[in-house]
Amino acid sequence: MAKKTFQGRPVVPGDLNGKATVSKQPFNTTASYMENVWAGNTKNAPCTDQDNKDLFRKDLEGVILCTSQCIGSSMGGGCFMAVAGLDLAPKAMLFSRHIDSVTASGVLMADIWQDKSIICVDLLGEEFLEAVKNGDAISIKKDGTVEVS
Amino acid sequence: MTVHHLLTKKPGIPDYVSYIRETDMDGIGPDGKPVRGYNAAGAGSPPKITSHDPSKAPHQMRLTKEEQDILDGKQGAVKAKLMKTVVRHGNLFGAEKLVDLGGNPHSSTFLGSPALKPIIDLLTDCADAGLKAYAPYTINPRPFDLYGVQTDREQELMIFESLPLQTELDHVHARLGARGMDIRSCMCYLPEVGNCPEPGTMVAWGESSAINAGNSIFGLRTNRNSMGMELLCALLGKAPYFGLMTDEGRMAKWLIEVKTSGEPDWGVLGGAIGEKCIEDVPYVTGIDKYFDGKITPQNLHKLKAMGSATASSGAVGLYHVENLTPDAVQHGRKLLAEGYQTYVIDDKEIDRVRSNYPNYWPKGQQPTGINIGCPHNTFHELVYWGTRITNELKKRGLKKVALPTQMFQSRVVSDHFMMEHPEMYATLFAAGVRFSNTCTVCFGGFDGYAENHFNVANSNKARKYTTARYLSDDDMIEVLMTGKIPE
Repeated sequence: MAKKTFQGRPVVPGDLNGKATVSKQPFNTTASYMENVWAGNTKNAPCTDQDNKDLFRKDLEGVILCTSQCIGSSMGGGCFMAVAGLDLAPKAMLFSRHIDSVTASGVLMADIWQDKSIICVDLLGEEFLEAVKNGDAISIKKDGTVEVS
Repeated sequence: MTVHHLLTKKPGIPDYVSYIRETDMDGIGPDGKPVRGYNAAGAGSPPKITSHDPSKAPHQMRLTKEEQDILDGKQGAVKAKLMKTVVRHGNLFGAEKLVDLGGNPHSSTFLGSPALKPIIDLLTDCADAGLKAYAPYTINPRPFDLYGVQTDREQELMIFESLPLQTELDHVHARLGARGMDIRSCMCYLPEVGNCPEPGTMVAWGESSAINAGNSIFGLRTNRNSMGMELLCALLGKAPYFGLMTDEGRMAKWLIEVKTSGEPDWGVLGGAIGEKCIEDVPYVTGIDKYFDGKITPQNLHKLKAMGSATASSGAVGLYHVENLTPDAVQHGRKLLAEGYQTYVIDDKEIDRVRSNYPNYWPKGQQPTGINIGCPHNTFHELVYWGTRITNELKKRGLKKVALPTQMFQSRVVSDHFMMEHPEMYATLFAAGVRFSNTCTVCFGGFDGYAENHFNVANSNKARKYTTARYLSDDDMIEVLMTGKIPE
């Protein structure tokens, strides 16, 4: 595809290149990390959200997660700290909408208390999620610019 | 003026502030007014903006002198870090200030698994620094119950191997000012548990179901606080003022018209609302007739089932029910925001939503256990289920339920039930029903458990987070009596 550029807000800024992993539906954090947070899996991060048709059973370790926003229980922020501690967190999360308060807590606590940065950009706009496909090349800049190609 | 500059040049600021990464702020510009950026909105309402202009300064809230001193490290490094987290969080949502919290906190930090060591370490750092919550706080259920229901060797091993940090977590909670273990519950607002502040109280609760019950049923003001963040706010005694704490953030973006032919399945209704509204506030009509004019201890569980599902299938932190919940009684349809959308839920829509719930059990698999109470049961739910189960056993000439059956509620709630209905309690116990203060979701989450345990539950939230299948009350009774899910 032709390169498209989107301007978002850097919640946790950083530069990164990689491939997109897309969830067109909102990402339920607690439901997705049950195996890591409850069941002791420290090797990979299989998505355990049976309702997520895009990601169920896919490995979420080190992905650039592209979605609208996160949903679900208030454990979600703790889940991001947990997978960050296991070095299984997404490398980056790109949100078309405003970041939710639970996820914001998780990425900030990981950044400030664990010194583990999960690069996070929000407010990329609905066009971003419409454009991005699994496997697309993604380039993230510190200022919140995201290129998809 | 950069914040780094401010931090490094101010007299009296300890050295360690310079290596607290990323800057903080005075929150006050050269003109003495708050530095304003874009008008981000908060959780529970859509953002006011959908784009970001990197040429503009990011939003920074205004802090009092005391708050700024804390941020600058004058009350210690740990408290500075804590303040930094809370302020940076609030700035993301356009909060203009911190507000003092009242009532009692509620924490959803309840799981001592190795993966959650970072959060336990964070809390230990706070306790080591002598910090304590502004008021005694309640906590979600402990994740296991070795004396009540998980008493076989296989499950004991799962627990000890899955949760080696549980005692460490419980210990740090006690140091930080938690109340006792007998009241552990996700339903902190029940009278037996006793954490139900006055309407209008600003709190910073964790636990998604308690958050939307607190906001919606009891008129509290709290955002959806993550595990960890709820305690950082409790230790500060302050939270950023945005989103569901504000009048604007409590406006409804959705009108939900419930037009089912009879009383809806409350869990599926909540799931439908959560999937549609995501984090937006819904204003629900057409269901007040199922509440005899007001919310009572006898009908509270209906809102619990609906609300918890809105938060597990979506991220709803507040809902209004016409003629019923306090904001809706006071303001009516004036709570509908300009440009609100409408979603009609009828029998067909309920069926559509339910039919989309996947079932990953092996083909032909029948249940192996029955879980009732997610979120935790109320006293009246115990009476309801106790009456239905004992009547049905008698009617069918049975002495025992067909499968291991767990009722989940706070210890003080099952004590209340035992005191008021000792015969029913004894009959249920003799029939094989067990009462536990642990958590349905945890019960199904341990390593290896899901491979050979197939539970049914009366909770859409439990369905969402475990492999449990979600059944209607009538179907639950059939499974209780026969061990099989009706065709």
